[in-house]
Amino acid sequence: MKKSLLIALFLSATALLSVETIQGVEDTTGPITVEQAAGDVPTTQMVEPALPSSQNQSIEPLLKEEEELLISVTGQGVAPMNTSSPAQAYALAKRAAVADAYRMIAERVKGVRIDGQDLIKNMMVKRSTVRTSVQAMVKNADIVETTFKEGLCEVEMEITISHADFAQ
Amino acid sequence: MRSRNGDHYFSRRLCSIILFYSLTLSASEYLISYRYVVKDAILYNESLIVSHAMKKCNGIAYEPLKLENNGSKNLSQIISANHDIFIGYIHKLGLDVQHNEETINAQNKSTTVLTLRTKCFKVDFNDNFAKIAPLK
Repeated sequence: MKKSLLIALFLSATALLSVETIQGVEDTTGPITVEQAAGDVPTTQMVEPALPSSQNQSIEPLLKEEEELLISVTGQGVAPMNTSSPAQAYALAKRAAVADAYRMIAERVKGVRIDGQDLIKNMMVKRSTVRTSVQAMVKNADIVETTFKEGLCEVEMEITISHADFAQ
Repeated sequence: MRSRNGDHYFSRRLCSIILFYSLTLSASEYLISYRYVVKDAILYNESLIVSHAMKKCNGIAYEPLKLENNGSKNLSQIISANHDIFIGYIHKLGLDVQHNEETINAQNKSTTVLTLRTKCFKVDFNDNFAKIAPLK
């Protein structure tokens, strides 16, 4: 009984002595340092944070010199409610889908500006606002495929970009 | 025709001048602008403005498009008869994309504006087709 009490006391004392400090928890992209002071000899380990699998998949390819890059996007557009014929609905939905595809190309090539604002009152989120904007000039994009189903038009577009396109 | 001093080139010169002026008189310049707005994935407004250029445009014509004109010399009529082809051609020339999106308390609103800035086009009218080319 006494022996077991002594062992328990020893274990709790060692647990209290060993201090784990984790630095840079906010910055998940950097390496995490784990310091373990076991007794008198502190040891430091560098732990590389693993990226989420979805983040690994969405890495954009880089445009290299002397190489062309094909960008493919699918834009979606909806027909308005008050159309006079299915043909008109198709034409209007297709136009909206093309605009969406152009927007996606611009986002992929040039990037998106994002502004966010949260209003917190009495420890509660009253209003959360996210604004995004894109501005670009897109030329020579090709329509590859168009589908129209139940009022939704999908347009697949492709654009080939090279270094020469960005020459001043 | 031979001139008094026996110049053989006089007739050739005359013919080339007549040919040149007949070609330039049938060619004219137009200013075209195109803009359409898509709000929340629905086409909101589309406008195509075609007008005669009031003063001469400078530049070199590139990437011409040929449209059937059926004898007409009215560009607006020709474009409306071949609307889809012309709009596709304008898209190829390049459009400015301006997109704004706002999400407030998980409710999303978006506006996309595609614009062809006013551009000068040289148009040659022939018997069967009209050749449209932007000037750079």
